[in-house]
Amino acid sequence: MPAAFVPSMVMPVFQLIAFSGAFGAAVKFAGIKNAMDWYVPLNAVQGASFGAMGVSFGLINDMQTGFFDRLLMAPTKRWSLVVGPMAGALVRAALPIVLVFVVGFIGGMNVPGGPMAFVTIVIAAIGIALVAAAFALGLTFRMRNMGAATLTQFAVFFTIFLSTSQVPLAAMSGWLHAVARMNPMTNVLRLARQGLLGDVTWSGTWGGLVALGGMLVASTWFALSGLKSLEK
Amino acid sequence: MSTPPIVAEGLVRHFGSGDKVVKAVDGVDLTVNNGEIFGFLGPNGAGKSTTVRVLTTLLKPTAGRATVAGYDVATQADMVRRSIGVALQDAAIDPLMTGRELLALQSVLYGLPKARATSRGDELLERVGLIAAADRRVGTYSGGMRRRLDLALSLVHEPSVLFLDEPTTGLDPMSRLTLWEEVRRLNREGTTVLLTTQYLEEADQLADRVAIIDHGHIVRQGVPRDLKAAVGAPTLLIDVAETQASAAREVLVRFGDLRPTSEGTLGVGLREGASAVAAVIRALDDATIHVRHLELNEPSLDDVFAEATGHRLEGAEAPKQ
Repeated sequence: MPAAFVPSMVMPVFQLIAFSGAFGAAVKFAGIKNAMDWYVPLNAVQGASFGAMGVSFGLINDMQTGFFDRLLMAPTKRWSLVVGPMAGALVRAALPIVLVFVVGFIGGMNVPGGPMAFVTIVIAAIGIALVAAAFALGLTFRMRNMGAATLTQFAVFFTIFLSTSQVPLAAMSGWLHAVARMNPMTNVLRLARQGLLGDVTWSGTWGGLVALGGMLVASTWFALSGLKSLEK
Repeated sequence: MSTPPIVAEGLVRHFGSGDKVVKAVDGVDLTVNNGEIFGFLGPNGAGKSTTVRVLTTLLKPTAGRATVAGYDVATQADMVRRSIGVALQDAAIDPLMTGRELLALQSVLYGLPKARATSRGDELLERVGLIAAADRRVGTYSGGMRRRLDLALSLVHEPSVLFLDEPTTGLDPMSRLTLWEEVRRLNREGTTVLLTTQYLEEADQLADRVAIIDHGHIVRQGVPRDLKAAVGAPTLLIDVAETQASAAREVLVRFGDLRPTSEGTLGVGLREGASAVAAVIRALDDATIHVRHLELNEPSLDDVFAEATGHRLEGAEAPKQ
């Protein structure tokens, strides 16, 4: 349904343009040539995660209409009821990523890392989309109402914005610096941004992959245990 | 001797904890024999649907055990799911899909090969009289059509045990009769059916045996005819002015035990049977009690329910045909 897709496609593009305009001078101060180089990876990651969270709305509808009971009563493996929606979330995530790239090109983003720059952005965005979808499923299985979707948005929003989403770590101070440094999203954004700010290197990659792996394991466990809680 | 298709022993299902615990099912024992239609009768909130959700593996039992098709619902849930068909209270179907698409999806869920899924889908659409509407979105179906489609979906994998949770609630009389006929046909073909209902007539018409549940407990279980016979005397219902109700009760009690009735009506189980009606009317007349309405009812499942629980089954009457 268009209502499920359009906001998650429009918002990252809107934010990309707005952030680049509003905070462009701030990131240039940190040595970044074009604000697009800084914000395209952020908005690809954010857009993918918000798109993926849409699985929550579909699941709530299926639970409220009883359709999910039909799936629960089918002799399928329980994990498929988590993996299936997560796979669907990838489709929802792909559209905003493509749109953000298009706007980035129009805005003149630099790609010193070559094609690998896009590979790392896509890995980061898809990884965060899977994490967001699994987290959304876990919350929805437990809460069984629209509040789950709202809470997921809050959680993802804060995780992203309490990282290096807006300014580099070096430009932060106090508690914000401490939180951003510990936040695994900082590593994921480093993974995503490296190819637009310079070369793609292993040292810029592994931290993000470890962070994604950890978050994915934790959120998938959260979703599977939530599914089990439906029977309790 | 083979295991009965459905067995529950001391089945308990609670929700919540501590002071706020709700005992939805509180020690249910029942056995459904091979090839029978078993009616599970009770008012809203009695525990019918929760029992079905436990038996169909949607909920884990809090205590007790149950087997369906010979498999334990708690430890062999996957095998139970392969053996049963379920049509729950709210026909859980996506209104944006067509009947044919939903049957195809259900076939995928049950692992039917594609060629078999297509032929089985057509077979079931034909069977439930939906072949002409097969390619229409389900959102355009009437309530009766949706229930018939739901029934078809539950039969895709040819289950040996079928659970129907209030299959005719909200349906018009014609749709109810059509569904009843289909249930009878399935049963004749060998499918064991557990049917929950709040309609007395439905249980009476369809079920070989019934269990009556109230507040999570089974209060009566058996063949409808035997249960009604056990209640014994027919019930005489009279309607009198509220100011004369007390005097009327004194007269009625001379002819049998007073029975629970709906508000504003008095009921007595006539010890001497229908032949005592004339004597009751004379006695009421002698006491100058004005009777506004009088009705003699043979024992019904509602009388069985009333005798067992002390209250009538609210909203139990199915729509008149």
